[in-house]
Amino acid sequence: MLTTLGILLLVLAVPVVLLLLWAIGAYNRLVTLRNRFKNAYAQIDVQLKRRYDLIPNLVETAKGYLAHERQTLEAVIQARNAAYAANQRAAANPGDAESMKGLTTAEAGLAGALGRLFAVAEAYPDLKANQNMLALQEELTSTENKIAFARQAFNDAVMTYNTARETFPTNLVAGAFNFAPAELFVVEQPEQREAPKVSFK
Amino acid sequence: MDFFDRQDRARQRTRVLVFWFGLAVVLTILAVYAVFALIFLGERGRFWDPNLFAGVSLGTALVVLLGSLVKILELSRGGGAVATMLGGTPVRPDTTDLYERRLLNVVEEMALASGIPAPQVYLLPQEEGINAFAAGLTTRDAAVGVTRGCLRLLTRDELQGVVAHEFSHILNGDMRLNLRLIGILNGLLVLTIIGRQLLRVRGGRSRGGREANVLPLIGLALVVIGGIGLLAGRLIKAAVSRQREYLADAAAVQFTRNPAGLAGALKKIGGLAAGSRLNTPRAEEASHLFFSNGLRESWLALFSTHPPLVERIRALDSQFDGRFPPVVAGAPPEAVAPPRRGLREVLPPPWAPAGAATLAGGTPAPAARVPAPQALAAAGQPQTVHLAYAQTLREQLPEELQVATRDPLGAAGLVLALVLSPDAAIRQRQVESLDRELAGPFLDAMGRLSAPVAAVPAAARLPLVMMAVPALRELSPGQYDLFTTLLQQLMESDEAIDLFEYALQRLVRRHLAPHFGERPRRVVQFYALTPLLGDCAVLLSALARVGADNEPEARAAFERGVARLGVSAPALRLLPLAECNLAHVDAALDRLEAASPAIHRRLLQACADTVSADGELTVREAELLRAIADALECPLPPFLEPA
Repeated sequence: MLTTLGILLLVLAVPVVLLLLWAIGAYNRLVTLRNRFKNAYAQIDVQLKRRYDLIPNLVETAKGYLAHERQTLEAVIQARNAAYAANQRAAANPGDAESMKGLTTAEAGLAGALGRLFAVAEAYPDLKANQNMLALQEELTSTENKIAFARQAFNDAVMTYNTARETFPTNLVAGAFNFAPAELFVVEQPEQREAPKVSFK
Repeated sequence: MDFFDRQDRARQRTRVLVFWFGLAVVLTILAVYAVFALIFLGERGRFWDPNLFAGVSLGTALVVLLGSLVKILELSRGGGAVATMLGGTPVRPDTTDLYERRLLNVVEEMALASGIPAPQVYLLPQEEGINAFAAGLTTRDAAVGVTRGCLRLLTRDELQGVVAHEFSHILNGDMRLNLRLIGILNGLLVLTIIGRQLLRVRGGRSRGGREANVLPLIGLALVVIGGIGLLAGRLIKAAVSRQREYLADAAAVQFTRNPAGLAGALKKIGGLAAGSRLNTPRAEEASHLFFSNGLRESWLALFSTHPPLVERIRALDSQFDGRFPPVVAGAPPEAVAPPRRGLREVLPPPWAPAGAATLAGGTPAPAARVPAPQALAAAGQPQTVHLAYAQTLREQLPEELQVATRDPLGAAGLVLALVLSPDAAIRQRQVESLDRELAGPFLDAMGRLSAPVAAVPAAARLPLVMMAVPALRELSPGQYDLFTTLLQQLMESDEAIDLFEYALQRLVRRHLAPHFGERPRRVVQFYALTPLLGDCAVLLSALARVGADNEPEARAAFERGVARLGVSAPALRLLPLAECNLAHVDAALDRLEAASPAIHRRLLQACADTVSADGELTVREAELLRAIADALECPLPPFLEPA
């Protein structure tokens, strides 16, 4: 009688304890993965901010030469400000579908505006030879590379998280504790997948 | 007592602890059985029932062991996991915040001075008190965390004192012990948690009238027994911790030679309303990891994990009158170390050939030649000169390289550039052998950095790699795989066997592996040299052949090493080149890593004797030895010219 109770307790307790331990493990893993992609976004954030800081300098330098291209210059500044705001929203909540899409659109707009600026600059040899401009364009290219690299890292982390979130049996834990799906940071048009052309050759 | 003895001691302490824990579990089982026996057997007047005893002991042991095991497994993910558990967020290597930058600089200087890559740095942003911790199992997965108050309120010197205190925990092997303590206590905690749950079970539809009330009774017993066990555990924990704290304070002063810094930090804790208290609910289980008492002052000194503040300060500053000055927030920090007594002006670049400049006034400079017998003297015990040297070294690295170490892409390019052959023609072939399509961004970064890297002298190459490690932790797993593949390809396309370059890339991979899924296993498997003789032969042969131009020289070098090892066996013979190539060395180091610290000491000394052609190590040989020492979990500070 007594030992049956003991055995019964044990038989009941062991699976429950094991299940509990597994759930704790799965939960911790999801949290780790979520932290990882959020941290990976910080990497993008640093580089994007660096680029947003470079662009006003670029416009300032170009201004002296491109007196007749005010519209192009203003478009760049506007696109830069829009992208800056979009990044702030995304950085506050990385992986959130809406803010990531907003950032994608804003970044595409900025890339387009920069592309037009550089196309226009083609016609101004003095600007092309300006030392400041050369330094800025080098800096911009290197920042673009770092952004692309950081974006890859972020997307990898998001993919791992999403996979863990969706696959059985972790999805049970994810569902119970509201682990929302995360959105990738993509660059929209294939022609803009490349860094904006900043070569003046 | 040197570094290796202290490592052995730390291990012994863990064993003693496990013994106490085993004892506690046995006592707990007996106590639980006694309760069960009273409840179920009491009326029959007979207190021994083997079946009941088997059930009870199995159940209790299972619960306690499982509870401990789960926690230990959770913590074995490394210092980062502990930091996250405590609410920490990583401080990014490329941060632009001045306070964070200063913290990273302080940590990096200490790491370079101790001969380890910088640990991960975490900030506890919710904590306004002044406190800090170090956690991890080895130097490879160590994390240092500081509270917001610590970051904002301390001066650079004080911050340095606190970080030096934490480094001493890292270098002394205290961290492993500390994490084990958390795990062990968790097992007993689980017992009380289960007891608490059982207490809530109200009598259900049980057939017998009596048995319905038994569960809460058992629960109560479990709570009490577990509670007593926990209490005892905390006493042990506090006793171990208090003693370690004094030692760490002493080591920190030895490191920075600046008692005022550490004392200043402790005084600020005393003067601050928030003190060193922590808000996180997990503060109790991790209290012994911290720099200063994170809980409210205990009513009983026995339970306090830290010695009283005033006593710690008096040990550093005998003039202290016990009155804490009020804390005012300091001026915004200077990120860069203030020049030490005008040192910067008189200092030649660290890699200036010794003798070219007059090295007056104890100015640190890398030693041109180190006598081989003294090679291990400073292991795990960095001194003030090492710190000063690390500061100047960092400042004098080209700006471009410093910046590159801070972002993942730059750091990856830097390490790839560092393992490129010094020979331009071979370098060209190496780069061409890589797959451009696959490796695009890495190759661009490498190409940009290969020129400045080529100009970096031997003494600064290892430190550069160590500086790059924190940023490399930010690679995604996919990028990390690609990066290691490229490293591997570069090593293989190098026609000459360059052991130093090999050691650099091994160091990088070793320190990154824990961040990319591989758990650091550092179980000592070998306490005797005999099963490792073959591996010793591989390592010493490779080292002997690197420095030697011909067979007799190689043989002589090898014999020197074997003589130091103090063993003669047929397995210890000079191997032909084909049997001690990099793949063999790699496998040998993997096995040698699992030897005890005492064996590591003998082996490293043998390595030092082998690589030194004439009883003295040149800079390059010394750096090679440092890189190998890292593979054997033995941080060697840079070798410096005696003042």
